[in-house]
Amino acid sequence: MIALVRAELLKIRSTRMWLGMLALSLGFTLLGLGFYIALAGVEMNGEAALPPVTDPATVRGFYAAASAGTLFMMILGIIGITGEYRYQTITQAFLVTPRRYRLLAAKLVAYFLFGLAFGVANVLVTVAVALPALAVKGGSTSLLDNDVPTILGGTVLAMGLYALVGLGLGALVRNQVAAIIVAVGWAQLVEAILTVALPSVGQWLPAGAVRAITRANIGFGGGGELDTLPAWGGAALLLAYGLAFAAIATFTTVRRDIT
Amino acid sequence: MILVEELTKHFGPVRAVDGLSFAARPGEVTGFLGPNGAGKTTTLRMLLGLVAPTSGRALIDGERYADLDRPVARVGAALEATGFHPGRTARDHLRVVCRASGIAEDGVDEVLGLTGLADAAGRRVGGFSLGMRQRLALATAVLARPPVLILDEPANGLDPAGIHWLRGFLRHLADGGCTVLVSSHVLAEVEQTADHVVIVARGKVVRDAPLAELVGEADGLRVRTEHPAELAAELDRAGGAVHRDGDLLRVSGVDAAGVGRAALAAGAVLTELGAERSGLEKTFLELTMAELGGDP
Ligand SMILES: Nc1ncnc2c1ncn2[C@@H]1O[C@H](COP(=O)(O)OP(=O)(O)O)[C@@H](O)[C@H]1O
Ligand SMILES: [Mg+2]
Repeated sequence: MIALVRAELLKIRSTRMWLGMLALSLGFTLLGLGFYIALAGVEMNGEAALPPVTDPATVRGFYAAASAGTLFMMILGIIGITGEYRYQTITQAFLVTPRRYRLLAAKLVAYFLFGLAFGVANVLVTVAVALPALAVKGGSTSLLDNDVPTILGGTVLAMGLYALVGLGLGALVRNQVAAIIVAVGWAQLVEAILTVALPSVGQWLPAGAVRAITRANIGFGGGGELDTLPAWGGAALLLAYGLAFAAIATFTTVRRDIT
Repeated sequence: MILVEELTKHFGPVRAVDGLSFAARPGEVTGFLGPNGAGKTTTLRMLLGLVAPTSGRALIDGERYADLDRPVARVGAALEATGFHPGRTARDHLRVVCRASGIAEDGVDEVLGLTGLADAAGRRVGGFSLGMRQRLALATAVLARPPVLILDEPANGLDPAGIHWLRGFLRHLADGGCTVLVSSHVLAEVEQTADHVVIVARGKVVRDAPLAELVGEADGLRVRTEHPAELAAELDRAGGAVHRDGDLLRVSGVDAAGVGRAALAAGAVLTELGAERSGLEKTFLELTMAELGGDP
């Protein structure tokens, strides 16, 4: 199994797709962070656009930008399995590993690990930009206060788990374009609406789980007011989504003939 | 040893493979021949656990592919429509297979060299020609030096030199004791290497015989001689039908041994003796067309 996981990690590293996903997730992170830096404490029409950096919520917002690109980890996971079908490399993959659930398990682990690594990259870039910005603006420069460790650690974990969920979803849907449309449509439309309209349901959805793990709302707005699971509950929920998708896929789409 | 027993596969109403049985033995190149759509690819994919049979069995050394321990080391396979990630280099493709199956990565450069891809090893497969992809598929198949080789239309896209090389390569492997099963829809690709042929049409075996037997049935022999008139007369006496064209005699009704005896009797020097290629091609066509219910 370790050999299979290592092979999957090499598969990811040996094409340039991951670079694109990394660039996109970093781009979103920097965009979110840029907004915070530009607007924190700035007066607009006589009112502060965002509370000043002395407000703990703003500090949290700076660091929460690290998780702005989690959706790209889901897309990375989706491509990780649907790409095998798209390029017909699935034949070779199943020739090497004819017990198909083992390949799927190795991919789940590999993409989780890769997602964690991406999370670390996003966190490092966020800290590298946020810390000096906060210092310049006179905010807290402590990485231990204001829930910052939870936000950053949670981001790393959430990114790993999102890649895993994407992999399970991709295995189930098989078609790359369809799976990406489902993921993006779900996250950007269905979930965005449900989170606001029915927060009690929203907390059980993937984005709600990310909010629970990172203890921060993605983007703007008061995350504190929404129903939110405990952090461990959020992590367990994402893991459950990924594993449930993968398990259903194992007994349905993954068993299909490869012709 | 490859054993296929009463193998059947239905895709909805399509009987792609219909009660197929045959064996491929070690030390032999077994040609798996048939027109397009005959069910060759489906059969090979069932052998390799990629397609689930509707009924019947397909075994490699007595086991199902999926039950083999470290299958890549036991069976090498290169299948039609096997893809490569266009953004991955040839070497990385092979390294991934090594890692996943626990094979040492030392063999990678060796098989790349063996298949003539040494110079392309670091290039992304997206820029490869069809022939180069076939070579890479072959390199993947032989990566772990498996004793069983299953190749689906490996000559597709190869240039003449590549096809020549492939023949020699398969011959060499079989002579070393490998079981080689190679499919083709072009008889000419197989007739010079195969020891045994299994001809399929519409999912059924229409012929399963040593190649020599099939060649023997072909419509006649080509005989070139320095003494055509004398030999033609002798062959005529031996009961053969002879058509003379300069120093070339097209003979039917007499086998190669018969021609040899006639040549000895006539004191004729032979400069060429072989099966009429078009005759063998015709036999193949007749066998498959008969099954398809049409005229050759
Ligand atoms: N996935 C599939 N769904 C439906 N029909 C298929 C599928 N794969 C193959 N077939 C059909 O099965 C038959 C045999 O195909 P194939 O095994 O590819 O033949 P060959 O390799 O000899 O050309 C053909 O009629 C083909 O159309
Ligand atoms: Mg075919």
